[in-house]
Amino acid sequence: MQDDLDDLLAEAARRPVVPSDALMNRVLADALALQPAAPATRRTTAVQSGFLARLAGLFGGPPALAGLGTAAIFGLALGYLNPTTTLDYLTGTSADTAEFFPEADFLTTEG
Amino acid sequence: MAFDAHGDVSDEALMVLYANGDRHAALALTQRVTPRVLAYAARLLSGDRAEAEDVAQETMLRLWKVAPEWRQGETKVTTWAYRVATNLCIDRQRSRGRRRQMALDDAPEVADAAPGAEGRLQEAGRMAALEAALAELPDRQRQAVVLRHLEGMTNPEIAAIMEIGVEAVESLTARGKRALAAILSGRKAELGYEDDGHAG
Repeated sequence: MQDDLDDLLAEAARRPVVPSDALMNRVLADALALQPAAPATRRTTAVQSGFLARLAGLFGGPPALAGLGTAAIFGLALGYLNPTTTLDYLTGTSADTAEFFPEADFLTTEG
Repeated sequence: MAFDAHGDVSDEALMVLYANGDRHAALALTQRVTPRVLAYAARLLSGDRAEAEDVAQETMLRLWKVAPEWRQGETKVTTWAYRVATNLCIDRQRSRGRRRQMALDDAPEVADAAPGAEGRLQEAGRMAALEAALAELPDRQRQAVVLRHLEGMTNPEIAAIMEIGVEAVESLTARGKRALAAILSGRKAELGYEDDGHAG
């Protein structure tokens, strides 16, 4: 009987137990429902910076550029002012009225 | 089911991939492990297909849950799955107080079968007889015999699943087979075997 039993067991082992599609679908649905989310990949947003933004970046960004602009305006004004009048005004030797913009009369003259 | 895109990847590596969100790994593990667990559960549960499917789904559910903590190199996925399925089958049998007693008399009749169907009916009858005989074995003997002779596992693998020593596996398997032979010895005619004079 032992040989017969071995044959019987071997025959049983060869018989496939095929899972139904319904079972496989249920198992897969469980798997996907319980699956941990994939680690978030770092999404870098490509920002298209314009010419002015890139230019500002060269000087340290908008705040630094603002300071640079202010200095440029003051430099321009100091270069335009009458140097004699400015010196007198700063040393206290100036007249009561100082002519800072002697050449700018045309801006206020009518006609 | 779709193509297993991870054909060369071990089950253990698939577990890691699954835990990292790889959906293909989920599919591959489903395709690989579910049929084996189902077959094992069906054999332990004496062919009760519906219960075996429940056990298979529950086993796989636990596998998915344990995946994030899975440590490669400690346990094989199949060993873990068989162990869980074994415990689930035992729980079901105990909770329902059932031990399916499928009488050999219920096996399909073969005497009046048409010639073309006779072979299939004989085979079905033999399988039913084997399932009934397996159901009469003590739980541990049945597990050892099924794992060794129907699932084709080695004794060390069975020892890992049953969490016992290899010698204990050998003993359980030997005793289980002797008991099976004794149960089936009086049923040779029904099994379709000629009396060849072998002792049970």
